[in-house]
Amino acid sequence: MSLLKIDGLTQRFGGLQAVSEFSVDMKGGELMGLIGPNGAGKTTIFNLISGFYQPTEGTITMDGNLTAGLKPHQVTSMGVARTFQNIRLWHDMTVLDNIRIAQHYRLGYGVMDSIVRGKKYREREERILEIATELLEAMSLTDVAQEFPKNLPYGLQRRVEIARAMSIRPKLLLLDEPAAGLSSSDVEDLIKLVRWIHENFDITIFMIEHQMKVVTSLCQWIKVIDFGATIAEGTAEDIQSNPAVIKAYLGDDNI
Amino acid sequence: MAACAVLLLTLAHFKILDNYIQAVIMFVGINIMMSTSLNLVNGNMGEFTCGHAAYMCVGAYVASVLSVKFFGTKMGDPLLPGSMAVFVFPLIILAGGVVAAITSILVAVPAFKTRDDYLAIITIAVNYMVISAIENMDFVGGSRGFQGMKNTVWAMKDFLNGPWMLFWVITFTVFTIWLIRRFITSTYGKGVNAICQDEVAAEIMSVNTNKIKLVNFMISAGLAGCAGGLFAHIIGYVNPQSFNILKSTEALVMVYLGGMGSLSGAVISAVLFTGLMEVLRSQALIDFLLSPATFIFPDWEPSAGVIKWVMIPLLLVLIMQFRAEGIMGNKELSDVFPKLKKYYTFK
Amino acid sequence: MDFIIQNILNALQWGSFYALIALGYTLVYGVLRLINFAHGDIFMVGAYISYFVALFLLGPALGLSPLVTFAIAVPLTMALTACVGVTLERIAYRPLRRKGAHRLYVVITALMCGLILEYGNLAALGAERLKFPELIDKVIWHIGGVTITNLKVIVIFAAIAVFVFLNFIVTKTKIGMAMRGISYDKFAIPLMGIPIDAIIVFTFILGSSFAGLAGLLFAMSYPILEPFMGMLIGWKAFIAAVVGGIGDIRGAFYGGFLLGFIEVGVVTIFPSTYRDLFAFTILLLILWVKPTGLFGMPQSTKI
Repeated sequence: MSLLKIDGLTQRFGGLQAVSEFSVDMKGGELMGLIGPNGAGKTTIFNLISGFYQPTEGTITMDGNLTAGLKPHQVTSMGVARTFQNIRLWHDMTVLDNIRIAQHYRLGYGVMDSIVRGKKYREREERILEIATELLEAMSLTDVAQEFPKNLPYGLQRRVEIARAMSIRPKLLLLDEPAAGLSSSDVEDLIKLVRWIHENFDITIFMIEHQMKVVTSLCQWIKVIDFGATIAEGTAEDIQSNPAVIKAYLGDDNI
Repeated sequence: MAACAVLLLTLAHFKILDNYIQAVIMFVGINIMMSTSLNLVNGNMGEFTCGHAAYMCVGAYVASVLSVKFFGTKMGDPLLPGSMAVFVFPLIILAGGVVAAITSILVAVPAFKTRDDYLAIITIAVNYMVISAIENMDFVGGSRGFQGMKNTVWAMKDFLNGPWMLFWVITFTVFTIWLIRRFITSTYGKGVNAICQDEVAAEIMSVNTNKIKLVNFMISAGLAGCAGGLFAHIIGYVNPQSFNILKSTEALVMVYLGGMGSLSGAVISAVLFTGLMEVLRSQALIDFLLSPATFIFPDWEPSAGVIKWVMIPLLLVLIMQFRAEGIMGNKELSDVFPKLKKYYTFK
Repeated sequence: MDFIIQNILNALQWGSFYALIALGYTLVYGVLRLINFAHGDIFMVGAYISYFVALFLLGPALGLSPLVTFAIAVPLTMALTACVGVTLERIAYRPLRRKGAHRLYVVITALMCGLILEYGNLAALGAERLKFPELIDKVIWHIGGVTITNLKVIVIFAAIAVFVFLNFIVTKTKIGMAMRGISYDKFAIPLMGIPIDAIIVFTFILGSSFAGLAGLLFAMSYPILEPFMGMLIGWKAFIAAVVGGIGDIRGAFYGGFLLGFIEVGVVTIFPSTYRDLFAFTILLLILWVKPTGLFGMPQSTKI
C-alpha cells in the first residue's frame, strides 16, 4: 500500500487553475523533490496535502485513507508534518515549548486534567518533556532549548522548525523551500541534516526547493511543474537535460 | 497568601476593617476575576473581544434567580432551608458561571472563522443582545432590575456569623487565579498562546484550534459569570445596564493596562484600577485637579462620577501612546523579579 | 398597502442616518484598517456643533432667518465636525501610526476617545438635554394614505447624494484611487510619491463631515440632544457597515439601509423593546453566513 497517493489533483481558485492533474505515488522511504518556477503551484499542492484547501478534483490518500474533508490538524495526526517557506515558529515561546506544543495530538489529557493535575497529567507531561528533550538532543539543539526563536540565527531557526515537524514522528515530511534565505554554509548543514533524517528515520520526504544544489544532492526523484501542470519527472540528471524544464526555467540562474 | 486571607477575614469579622474597606476589597476581587478571565481571550489568545460584561450579566442573573428561588421570598417561598445556604451558595455561583460559559459559544463559534475586527463586532452585539434580552424578561424585573439575593447572604450569617461575602469573594478570586495559571502553564493551555502567535502553524502542528478556542472562551466566560454572581450578591440588586459596554470597557482597560497575556499584570492592574476608581470617586480630589478650569469657568461644577470616566479612558490612551505593552508587557512577576521563583514556579 | 409604503419611507429615512454614519466608518477602515470607534461620537459632536451653530446664527448677534440658518449651518457644521475628526487623527492616531504600533492599540485608543468625547460632553454641558431649534417649516404631503414630510425627503436625498458623491470620488478621481491603493498596500503608496498623511487626513475630512451632516439632520428630525446619542447609533451603524462589507462604500450604504429596514420592520411586528435585540440577532446571523459581509472581499492569508 502506498504511503501517499495523489490522483488527478486539480485545484481551481475561481478562474485560475492553480494545479492540474497532479499525480504521485509514494510507496514510502523516498526523498522526492518538487520544483518549478515561482507561482507554479507547488505550495498549493502542499497546502492541499496538509488539508488547508479542499481539492476541486482528485483524491489524496494517506496510507489508504482519503484526506478529503479532514481538517489540517487531523491530517497531521495521520503522520504528515511540514515546514513553511517563511519560518512559522512561535517566536514568543521557548524552543522547548515549540516542540512540546506540537505534541497536542497525543497529549493524552484534557482541560480538566490540566487544572486538577492528577497522576495522568503528570505522567503525560513528563513523557512529552522526555520526547521533546530527546529530539532536541538528537538534532543538536539542546543548547538553545530555553531560547526564543526570534533571538536565534536564521539557520538555527530553520533547524528548530524541522525539529518541530519531526517531533510529530511523521511518516511524511513536507519541506517547503527549506533552504530559502540560508547562507551557503547553512545550506550545507541543511543538506546534511535532511540526509541524516532520511537515513536514520523511517520517513518519506517530499521537498519543494529552488536551489538546484540542494535538489540534486538530495532528491532521488524529481517532479517538475509549471502553471500547475506536471511537465517532467525523473532523476536529477534527466531533469537537468530535459528541454521542457530548461524552457520553463529560461533565465533562471540556478541551472 | 492563605495567611493574608485569614488575616483579612478575621479583621473583617471583628469589625476592625470597616464595611467600606471590605467592599473595596471585594470589588478588587471581582475586578481581578474579570481582568484575568478576559486576559485569557484578549491577552493569551490575542483576540479582540469587547463584550466581556455580557458573561458577567448572565452569571449575575442566573445566580440571583437561583438564590432567590432557593432562599429568597420574591419568587415564592424559599425552596431550601436557610441552614443550607453556606453549602449551596458556591454551587449557585458556579451555576451562573456554567450558564455564562454556554453563552460564550455564541461568540466562540464565529471566532473559528472570523478575524479580530469582525469578532469585536460580534462580541459587542452579544453584549447588547444579552442586555436587551433581559430587559425584555419581565419575570426577572426587566429593565427595572432584580433583587432579593440578600436573603441568601443573611441566611449564611444566621447559620454562622461572619463576613461570608468577603470569604466567598476571596475564595473565588484565588480559585480563578489558580485555575487560569494551571491551565495556561500546561502544554494544553500553551496551545492558546500558539494560536495567538501563529494560528496556521498551530493548526498544522496538530493543535485542534477550534476546540482550544472554544475551551478558552468558555473558561473565560465561566469565570466572568462567577464574578457576576458574586457581584450581584454583594450589592443585592442587579439591573441589566450595569453590564453594558461601559463595564466591558472597564475590563478592557484592566487587561491592556496590565499587559496582554500576563496573569500577574492582570492582577496588578485590577488592584490599581479598583483603587483608582475609588480615589476618583472623591469629589474633593476632582475639584482640586480641575481647579484651574473651574477658575476660568466659575459656573462649571464638574461631578466626580463623570470626570472619572474622562480620566480613565484618557489614562488608557496615554498608556497606548507611551507604553502600549502595559505594566508587565507579556512577562510575569517571576520574570521581572527572578528571586520570586524561589517561592513559586510560574512556567 | 399604504401601511407598507409608509413603513418603507420610514425605513429609508431611518436607514439614511445609519448609511451616512456607516460611510464614515467604512472610509476610514478602508484606508487605515482601523475601526474608528469614536466615529459614532463624532456624529454626536456634529449634532451638538450644529445646535450651537444654529443657536448662534439665529441668535441676537446675527438674527438670521431659520431657512438661511439651515443653509449656512450645513456646510459650517460639516466643516467644524471635520476639524474634530482631523484633530482626533492628528493627536491620537497619527503618533501611533508613526511608531508602527500594532493596529489593536489604535483601536483601543479609538474606543477610549469615544468615551472621552461622551463623558467630556456630559461633564462640560451637563446632563440636561438640549432642544434643537426648528429650522425648516414642516411641510407635510399626503399621497394616497401615505404621509411624508419635507424633512424626510431631505434626509433620504442627502444620503443618496453623499453616496453618489463619495462613489464618484473613490472610483473616478486620483485621490480616490490613492485611497483605494492605501487599503491594498500601505507601504508601497509613499514609495509611489503619494503623500499618505494627506490622503488619510482627506479621508477623515470626508468621513467626519458626513457624520456631522448626519448629526445636523438627525437633530432636525429628532430634536432632543443628549451626550450618549451617538453610542448606540454608532455601534449599529458600524455593524451595518460590516454586514454590508467593510471597506466598500456600497456595503456601508446598503448595509445602513438594510439595518433601517430591519429595525422598522421589527417594530411593526413586535413590541418596540425587542427592536435592538432583533436587529443585532439578524445582523449576527448575516455575519455568520457570510463572514465578510454582503459586499466584502474575503481576506486570504498566504500560507
